[in-house]
Amino acid sequence: MTSTPPEPPRTATGYAPFAHLTAPNAPLYRRVMSAFLVAKERFAVHLRPEDVYAALAPEHRPADPDAVATALDRLVGWGNLRADPDTSRVTAVEDFYRKRFIYQLTRAGEAAEQALSVYDEALGRRGALQAVALHDIVTQLKTLVVIAEEPDAAKAHLALSTLTARFEALAENARAFMGSLQRTIDLHDVDIEVFLAYKDRLIQYLERFIQDLITLGGRIAALIGELEDDDRVGALLRLAAAREAADAAPDEADSAEARAYERWTAKWSGLAAWFVSADGRESQARLLRGRALGAIPQLLAVVRQLNERRAGRSDRSADFRALARWFAEAPDDAARHRLWRAAFGLYPARHLTVDAATLDGRTARPVPASTSWAGAEPLRISPQLRRTGSYERRGKARRVQDRSAQRRHLAEIAARQTEEIAAARARLATGGTTRLSALGELDPLAFRLFLQLLGDALATWRPDTRTTTATSNDGTMEIRLTALSDGTTAEIRTPGGVFRGPDHTVEITPAEGRR
Amino acid sequence: MTASLGEVLEGRRTAEFHKAARALLKEPLLLADGPQADEFRLVRRHAGDLRDWFDRNTGWPLRVDAEAARLGRTPGTLADATHPAREASRARVPFTRRRYVLLCLALAALERGEAQIALGRLAEQVVLDAADPHLAAAGIAFTLERRDERLDLAAVVRLLLRHGVLRRVAGDEDAYVSGAGDVLYDVRRRVLAGLLAARRGPSLITAEGFEERLAELTAESALDSDELRFRAIRQRLTRRLLDDPVLYYAELTDEELAYLTRQRAFIAARITELTGLVAEVRAEGIAMVDPMDDLTDVRMPEQGTHGHVTLLLAEHLAASDSTVSREELESRVRELAVEHGGFWSKNARQPGAEGELVELALAKLTALGLVAVVPGGVAPLPALARYAVGETVVKESPRKAQQQ
Repeated sequence: MTSTPPEPPRTATGYAPFAHLTAPNAPLYRRVMSAFLVAKERFAVHLRPEDVYAALAPEHRPADPDAVATALDRLVGWGNLRADPDTSRVTAVEDFYRKRFIYQLTRAGEAAEQALSVYDEALGRRGALQAVALHDIVTQLKTLVVIAEEPDAAKAHLALSTLTARFEALAENARAFMGSLQRTIDLHDVDIEVFLAYKDRLIQYLERFIQDLITLGGRIAALIGELEDDDRVGALLRLAAAREAADAAPDEADSAEARAYERWTAKWSGLAAWFVSADGRESQARLLRGRALGAIPQLLAVVRQLNERRAGRSDRSADFRALARWFAEAPDDAARHRLWRAAFGLYPARHLTVDAATLDGRTARPVPASTSWAGAEPLRISPQLRRTGSYERRGKARRVQDRSAQRRHLAEIAARQTEEIAAARARLATGGTTRLSALGELDPLAFRLFLQLLGDALATWRPDTRTTTATSNDGTMEIRLTALSDGTTAEIRTPGGVFRGPDHTVEITPAEGRR
Repeated sequence: MTASLGEVLEGRRTAEFHKAARALLKEPLLLADGPQADEFRLVRRHAGDLRDWFDRNTGWPLRVDAEAARLGRTPGTLADATHPAREASRARVPFTRRRYVLLCLALAALERGEAQIALGRLAEQVVLDAADPHLAAAGIAFTLERRDERLDLAAVVRLLLRHGVLRRVAGDEDAYVSGAGDVLYDVRRRVLAGLLAARRGPSLITAEGFEERLAELTAESALDSDELRFRAIRQRLTRRLLDDPVLYYAELTDEELAYLTRQRAFIAARITELTGLVAEVRAEGIAMVDPMDDLTDVRMPEQGTHGHVTLLLAEHLAASDSTVSREELESRVRELAVEHGGFWSKNARQPGAEGELVELALAKLTALGLVAVVPGGVAPLPALARYAVGETVVKESPRKAQQQ
């Protein structure tokens, strides 16, 4: 294998050093490349195939050293490595006849590895909430307050630089953290054990950070406010900008200072916006706090879900699989039926019946409990049933009776009654105050309604009452009754006789509208 | 006035309570949206009292939520093989070995699965689970490629549909059986979770023998005081009286019999209070008989050819006090066919139908605890005497003619 001379790097695409990522055996290629990187950290530049083979972790090492040699040649082909003839001594003849090479990273290969490590880091990043950064920010702000008393360009620049560096790190991490938190909580492809271990730490971590954010966030906001009073921070920013611009080329000096100042103010306002809510816009710190707090219940929900999955599902599933085995191994069908009954309990109760006649007979002539079944009177079986196997005579199929005619009749009666009552009500309505004596003749239905109304009204009558108002029991009519002092008598004629009594004025109104 | 109203209300409440309890005894898993929705509502209304009653007297847990009511029944005796799982069709064929195994594998797959499942997917998972070496060693293998295997799976799924574990969303099983389609189901996890009524998870039981497994499945926790032991006895006796047609004293242990003799009236009264069943106490045992004639899955007497044959054979068996051979029963059926055949279905009159008629009748009588199948034939049990007519009649007696 090693006898084929390494090809020169292909430069046609320009990105050939990334080709190994998509080739078969990509993991091996990446491990080989990382062996070179590790070696480079130890300032070893050249590696022989056997060195590379030894450097691979035992569990990833291919069985055949030649596989590594092949991989090296392929990498040379893509331009990641450079191969040089190996001129060292050998101790075996066959080694001598074999063409040997030593390998080193090319610049392209090294650059590709760097790019890949940045890529990995960005993807693998969990993000962190830096409580320490908050402390540093407080310290730096305090320093700035002190410097603002006696402005000094060098000190101001240093403090501001440190402050912004810490702040940028904090903001960047917080952003990454929120992203990774969501990914974790969504529980895609997360190993349960890993998650459960992570959960406790995460909750503690969130709690600590939230505490710091609450206490330190307030102090930071206060310090920022203090610095912004009388634009003291403006002076500091200008000093820092001037110091930065001092290094600029002479022809750019003026504009450089203005640009530096602009940059510093932007950074400062970013910092202020992070910790101080203003103009109806919530500060980032507050948002982050909300987000971190909100993460806890979400996390608990995931934990619950996991617990369900563990406690409920898997165990039950194992139970059913065990039962499947038992059913398979049971000696016979009868045993299986017994197992079904015991395990699932889905059977109906089963009882002998007794008919009313037999029961009555027993109540009349109770049988002592020591009577045997054979000694007691047997169940009375219908002779018809005994003879034919049916309670009914044959040929007379029992049919469902059609009761729609009766039903219609009942509906008609109900409708007619409703109508009559409505008519009677209409007849009673006086449409204004009138005398009882003026009611004239009433049919029995209307008279019955009238009597009910009168009864309802008189029920409210007290010794000194002259006038009363009552609503009928069913709430459909209202009666207003006033006693008259002229001593006249009212007569209401009905087909059943004449109703007499002291005359009153009366007003009867349907109350339907008010129901 | 108020007293009578109180009585009426009390009477209604008792009737409702009986109905709810009977519903649970007939169908220990009631669904809110199933065919017994009314019974479910009753159970829900009386859930508190029912739970107390069952908990105290039988030790059966009752769980009621918005979707379903489930009485976690454990039988009082493990010896009864007359309650098989049955196909949810009219034929009500008892489950076979393959179907039982399939059922459990399907449940295992549903437990692991999500809120919905297609029958095709379920079949795949069952096939995977069936590869378990223990099952293979027991001679079980599923490919679910043959039609009869698919029929088995369809029967299992229909049972689950009937008990409300699955709810059909689209498609039908026949299409699946013929290989023309698939079916989609919702899985009702709550119902599924309550399906197993065993006291202990089968996966935690290590016993190897069948009887030991069965015993451990329903074993109560340690009964180390007299009070607990007596309670266990009372619960076992109550369970048997609630579930089984006849409790023969001969089947009881000395301890159980002693307890029952002392507490018989009390236990029977509690059962009557719950269900309205009436105790028929005899020298040989107790039967809780049902004046309402609906708390049973096997009826006797019953209309129809099979019911008639069963009744007539019962009389015949009651008249003989020793074991009767199957041949004798078959010849008796041939005699009966001469006399009553005119009322029977056409199939039953055909020569050679006796075997099946006897088989069906014996299944019913065994299920009701009236006969026992023994080597050499069928032995009548004491309660069968309930169905004796004064003398064995070949012709109609004059007394009967008068009554008619």
